[in-house]
Amino acid sequence: MSKMLSQIWAVVVMNIRSLPQRIWMSLAAVFAISVVVAVLLSFLSMVKGFQHTLEGTGSEEVAIVTRSGSRSELNSSLSRDEVNIVSTAPGIAKDESDNPIYSPELYVVVDGIKRSSQTEVNLPMRGISLAGFALRDRVEITAGRMFIPGNNEIVVGEGVLREFDGFELGKKIKFGKTNWEVVGTFSTGGSAFESELWADARTVQTQFQRGSSFQTIRLRLSNPGDVAGIKKLIDDDPRLILDVETEADYFAEQGAALEGTIGFGWIISIVMSLGALAGALNTMYTSVSTRASEIATLRAIGFSNLSAFIGTLVESIVLSVLGGIVGALVSFAFMDGLSASTLGASFTQIVFTFDLTPELFQSGIALALIIGVVGGFFPAWQAARLPVIVAFRRGN
Amino acid sequence: MSDLYLIFKNLTRKPLRLFLTVFATFIAFLIYGSITAFQVALDSGVELSADDRLVTVNKINFTQPLPISYVNKVKAIEGIEGVVHMNWFGGYYQDPRQQVLTFAVDQDSLLDVYDEILLSEEERTNWEQNRQAVIVGQSIAQIHGWKVGDRIPLNSNIFSQQDGSSTWEFDVVGVYKGAEAQTDTNSVYIHYKYFNETQSFGGDYIGWMGIRTQDPALNEQVIKAIDEMFVNTTFETETVPEKAFNKAFIEQAGNIGLILGSIVAAAFFIILVIVGNSMVLSVRERTNEIGVMKTLGFQSSRIFRMVLGESLLVAFIGGGLGITLSYGVVFLFNNAPIQLPVLVINSEILLRALAYIAGLGLITGIIPAVSALRLNIITALSRG
Amino acid sequence: MTDKILYDLKNVEKSFVKGKERITVFDQLNMSIKEGDFLAIMGPSGSGKTTLLNMLGGVDQPTGGEVWFDDSRVDTLSEGELAKWRANNIGFIFQFYNLMPMLNAARNVELPLLLTNLSKKQRKQSVETALELVGLADRAKHMPNEMSGGQQQRVAIARAIVSDPKLMLCDEPTGDLDRNTADEILEMLQLLNQKFGKTIVMVTHDPQAAKYAKRTLHLDKGEFVEGDLAA
Repeated sequence: MSKMLSQIWAVVVMNIRSLPQRIWMSLAAVFAISVVVAVLLSFLSMVKGFQHTLEGTGSEEVAIVTRSGSRSELNSSLSRDEVNIVSTAPGIAKDESDNPIYSPELYVVVDGIKRSSQTEVNLPMRGISLAGFALRDRVEITAGRMFIPGNNEIVVGEGVLREFDGFELGKKIKFGKTNWEVVGTFSTGGSAFESELWADARTVQTQFQRGSSFQTIRLRLSNPGDVAGIKKLIDDDPRLILDVETEADYFAEQGAALEGTIGFGWIISIVMSLGALAGALNTMYTSVSTRASEIATLRAIGFSNLSAFIGTLVESIVLSVLGGIVGALVSFAFMDGLSASTLGASFTQIVFTFDLTPELFQSGIALALIIGVVGGFFPAWQAARLPVIVAFRRGN
Repeated sequence: MSDLYLIFKNLTRKPLRLFLTVFATFIAFLIYGSITAFQVALDSGVELSADDRLVTVNKINFTQPLPISYVNKVKAIEGIEGVVHMNWFGGYYQDPRQQVLTFAVDQDSLLDVYDEILLSEEERTNWEQNRQAVIVGQSIAQIHGWKVGDRIPLNSNIFSQQDGSSTWEFDVVGVYKGAEAQTDTNSVYIHYKYFNETQSFGGDYIGWMGIRTQDPALNEQVIKAIDEMFVNTTFETETVPEKAFNKAFIEQAGNIGLILGSIVAAAFFIILVIVGNSMVLSVRERTNEIGVMKTLGFQSSRIFRMVLGESLLVAFIGGGLGITLSYGVVFLFNNAPIQLPVLVINSEILLRALAYIAGLGLITGIIPAVSALRLNIITALSRG
Repeated sequence: MTDKILYDLKNVEKSFVKGKERITVFDQLNMSIKEGDFLAIMGPSGSGKTTLLNMLGGVDQPTGGEVWFDDSRVDTLSEGELAKWRANNIGFIFQFYNLMPMLNAARNVELPLLLTNLSKKQRKQSVETALELVGLADRAKHMPNEMSGGQQQRVAIARAIVSDPKLMLCDEPTGDLDRNTADEILEMLQLLNQKFGKTIVMVTHDPQAAKYAKRTLHLDKGEFVEGDLAA
């Protein structure tokens, strides 16, 4: 057994050592595979980054109530009365004074200039009260101060600052006829809320002619994940045509829209992989034919078919894994941490960063490995079955 | 026997290698054809914008409303051919996830301003006269199986009727076609009056106005006239040419053009390297034969041309197959039940593809062709 | 052999630079070949016989002196002109045949005809004639790897004569063949020379092969020793 292994090892080493003779063909395969892996990982890291942002945004401990069928905060509409009724539902956590912890909010869209394209895009502006702050995990003011209720002041999320122009601290902004001032910056640990502008709910109502209506209510749940009490209240009351779910579920649904992009990314990568596979096969077949007399000589000496087979297969795998690593590193260098923003479900911008996780890295290497194995298998087979007589044939 | 025969014979020496290089080229151009069709479809939304049309929205953001009284004021402005006011209905069909692009509009002016919406005379009359009419685009009609004469329910995810339900019922009086192959036919249009009188929020508000000018040269002054009319009111307006509006809208999603372009570039790089290498190798294997050909009296330039002929032939066969199959891909997508812009491989794409094929053939062949050209007979023969 | 001088080398010098040294292969070499001659050139390796053959074939150019073929100078021709000259005047035969592996016998023979203006029909005729001459008409459609060494060399001969060149240059034509086959080939060359008047120059290290020629020149260190220098 160990004799077999040392045979195989010897052949493998010889194959690898002779690679410089076939440097250009080998590099072609490495390059092709690295490009495919880079493309795949770029896609996946984009999707992953987007998903992370959305996932980090929803909390299991908070319920969100919207008008039935609206499917996004923007489309929803709730009256003051509806807010009051819902706040009395069972299952809502209470503060020290035994008042339910909830936050009625508005969600309007304003224009901002995207830094990268210098075009106008939709930015979300949330009308929120101090209670709303308490309902977001990890929110903190990182510069300036909180807005004063009643004033035309806004605090901007850090994501907004990264991707859009004109929202720096102290800036005065005009939305339509109304003037606002940026008094602070906030962060929420990278969630989608950082793509928003926050202002006092009442001020937003006034300035945007909303009367006393809101768009959503957020409520803290006494039991995380348990919205049954609220749901029952809504179902029993014919005046309330509302949906309730945990904030986590709500944002998870928004992320589901990405399924299409993931599918697209994989399809493109697989199609391109076929092209890279053709390249790998070409390289390996050439490798075998270039070294035909060498391989046959080894066989004539007494090396087994298996060693020829494994030697070639390993050569192919080494090249492809190398390609995979290069592709992953390139993708990491250029993409990881790249900030971008795109259209979210509410037709507003969501800022996110590309995220190349170790998991994704594995996917990339796995793809490279598959190409290497498939690309090496048939040439390896050919190498194993090379007739020994080839060793005695002159030339090629 | 001819030079072409020799080229062919040289290519088929190692059939497997020929297959692999043609296949790789095929893959690259399949990707090119399909993705470019998609890109052109996206751009066409911008390209097909009429020069003489403008869009007027609320200055804060296009999701904010405008008062309906603005419509008549705007109509009176000099240089304007027609105005249609429109509202986003937020429609879906049966399931909230099955979105239908629905617009509540002024039924009398819609077809005058947006003349790429084509209906028969009879359909048009019915549309204008039936309060509960809906005209549906060919594409969306096909997806849901709607025909003229059907009565269909549409829900709104924003508005509700005064009785609390969010379902409205409409008569399908027409299935409209687009004037161009790539005109959007995924939208449906209903009467604003019917919608406004039955919806529960009240208030006579519109979403935006589509405006047609008498001449594109008048755009500038019309834009100015409209926006100045409403400056310093509660509802300030922002008017832009339709092209600019559509462009900005698409760019909200991100630089899709860059992403798609990068994918195609990556695919081309891959084959460039694979095929180029193959060609260099295959010529190197033939050093001896090239020497013999030159000895027989073949001019170096003729051999140069034959090598280039090989790489060009590979490019044309592989590229040709790839583009041909992308027609198939485009066909599949166009007939799939998804709301996508219509994909078309137009002559522009075809010409560009041919140029890329020729370019690829030249680039992959130039190095081996030059080395064949310069090959010294004595060196060549001694290597064999 | 007529009295017309087909090929005339006058004071030809051939040298090249290797590293820092200048290596001279020929210095003041003189040689004439008459039309219809069958000349064998023998010599040890390094004597310059291959270089001489290359120069006769227009594949290599002298660094000094004059080369006259059929009353016109060859050493001043450009590469493109030389290619044309070779196509019109020379037929080559190599030690290892050098047939195109992907073409059958008939097409291999047809190859030089692609350099002429002959019609397809005319080409076909010439190929048939040539193959018949070498006795391989029935193997016209066979590929080189389906033929023995001797058969391949005969195809090569057919290729060399198909455009009716004035001069045939053979580089060790029997070097890779067994005795019997070698004799067959040499007999064929003799036939071409005696019956068809082809002028033949053959480089060989085999004295038996040289016997088939009309005269032999011995080359040593770039100089002719013994034998006739001029006829």
